[in-house]
Amino acid sequence: MIKLGIMSFAHLHAYSYAHCVSLIPDVELTAIWDDDKDRGREASKRYNTQFIEDLDEFLNLPIDGVIITSENVNHKPMVIKSAQANKWILCEKPLATTIEDAVFMINTCKKIGVGLGVAFPCKFLTPLLKAKEYINAGKLGDILSIACTNNGSYPGGWFGNVKLSGGGAVMDHTVHVADILRWMLGREFESVYCELGNQLHKGILETDDMGCLQLEMEGGIQVSHIASWNRPKSFPTWGDVTMEFIGTKGVLYVDAFNQKLNIYSDFVMKTEWGFWGDNPDFWLIQDFVMSIQEKRDPMSKGLDGLRSVEVTVFAYESFKAGKKIKIKRTKS
Amino acid sequence: MNVGILGCGTMGRLHAEMAEKSGLKVILCSDVNIKNGKSLAKEFKAKFVKNWEDVVSNKNVDIVAITTPTPLHFPMLDMSVKKRKYIFCEKPFCRTVEECKKIIQKAEKTNVKIFVGHVVRYFHEFEAIHELIKSGKIGEVGFIKMYRGGMPPQGKKSWFRDFSMSGGVTFDCMIHDIDWLRYVFGEVKTVFCQNLIERKCAPLDYSQVTVRMKNGVLALVIGTWAHPSGFRVKVEVCGSDGLMYYDNMESPLELQLREKKDVTGTIVPESPVLKSPYQREWEDFINWINNGQEPRVSMYDALKAVEIVSACLHSAKVKQPVTL
Repeated sequence: MIKLGIMSFAHLHAYSYAHCVSLIPDVELTAIWDDDKDRGREASKRYNTQFIEDLDEFLNLPIDGVIITSENVNHKPMVIKSAQANKWILCEKPLATTIEDAVFMINTCKKIGVGLGVAFPCKFLTPLLKAKEYINAGKLGDILSIACTNNGSYPGGWFGNVKLSGGGAVMDHTVHVADILRWMLGREFESVYCELGNQLHKGILETDDMGCLQLEMEGGIQVSHIASWNRPKSFPTWGDVTMEFIGTKGVLYVDAFNQKLNIYSDFVMKTEWGFWGDNPDFWLIQDFVMSIQEKRDPMSKGLDGLRSVEVTVFAYESFKAGKKIKIKRTKS
Repeated sequence: MNVGILGCGTMGRLHAEMAEKSGLKVILCSDVNIKNGKSLAKEFKAKFVKNWEDVVSNKNVDIVAITTPTPLHFPMLDMSVKKRKYIFCEKPFCRTVEECKKIIQKAEKTNVKIFVGHVVRYFHEFEAIHELIKSGKIGEVGFIKMYRGGMPPQGKKSWFRDFSMSGGVTFDCMIHDIDWLRYVFGEVKTVFCQNLIERKCAPLDYSQVTVRMKNGVLALVIGTWAHPSGFRVKVEVCGSDGLMYYDNMESPLELQLREKKDVTGTIVPESPVLKSPYQREWEDFINWINNGQEPRVSMYDALKAVEIVSACLHSAKVKQPVTL
């Protein structure tokens, strides 16, 4: 029996992860801790588990691993505390809001000897797995250019508060695609030019809600990426992950969540897309459980988290500088 | 009024047809490719002449239509201005900003009317998008993504494949979207471009351009000559209170023919309208000539479009943003 705990339901993904935990045999959601007591109690009722108010008491429970789904800036203190309590860790993305924090978190986990993973469920999306298979088999030849999007709608709440989120849409929606491309191509990002701003939520939001990144990967691969909260409330779904790969032998377009039903319901009075593909969160949690059993890092390691944080941080730096800049990779 | 066609390729044929549909008569056609020139002349019961200069200096020609490779636009415009012709010129206006400016200077002095075919301004779907933006349907627009292209220009000897002549997909194709952005949102502040010109994989080209408009609107424009098939146009407009999306693959007609020996074929989507955008631009041009009403595209607009796409090419070369 593997025993898991969830720390904070600040991030909505926590609900999906908790549900996935309940689907895996011989895995138990032992306890929930949350600094928002009402939210934590509510979640513990929903998932039929105990709510522990005191963090130290929570970490003293015989839990094997914790899933950290707090506000971005709280990832660091929670990861450090969990590592010190010898827990295996799956941390929501982005791993951290600064490079220094990410490095410190990785080094701490390494020193103590606990596994540290980052919640990048996209790598379990079957359309992206298939795309990777095509690319790695050389079907597209050499990759020349890639155009990506990770669009979403403004999540509200702490996401718009820089002190808790560390940034806006660029902070939220750059890391998935950066991580996917590194994983698919086995190459790192070398430079970034970024234009960003609060383009659509003036007066509502203090952070950026749109970023347009132009990146270069090793080997001169030209990448554009839209990181956004540009989907309106009336949009049929939360957003997307799309990628168009241009290769010397062919092109490949991926719309990773486009396994959907068009739903028109008079109860909602808005078109909705119902996703019917394989649930990537399930495999993310499954991999985390296995990483505990096998005493290894989860599929997306701390280093993967760091590399995608670097892309994000340098994107903001580029915007400040008004020019394309090099992405410096920190050794870890 | 009589029209002389300079350049009898695909666009020459199209514009000859549009000119006649708009009530004009094509009387002279010229092309260095004698076969193409003669064939077009025959089709329109016009006369073929080998030298384009003979078209421009012919007294019976009122309108000169320039549909040749871009680098030839300048000498042809230059002589047509001298001869005081009405001029229809396919986009891009000229290959360089300097050439555009020289032509404008001369045309201003002599009051010659030059119309440059930025036809996207006349496309029904783009008009509809423009109207909806103006009506405030999706609130204040803050971001727009435009996508255009498909296969590289066909024909092994096609001049388009020589990027020093055509400027690649950025200069030749994306100029449509760049012009439209400026038409709708005003002047451009900065551009950043990545394309494949330096990769020397012509005829393949794929261009990704970040545009920041002076009014703060942000845009990403993608142009492709890198696809093995098809032609795609996509526009996504994001506002403070909504979003709209256009995709030419969502069309009312889809024709699929079985090729003779096989049971397979390709899908050709089609979206028929009563009056083609090309005819509408011709009618706008003719209305300018006849009634003095300013057309939707001015030669200054055409210059600006060349300025912006030239800045894109420069940005791709120096790998840094370029401010206009």
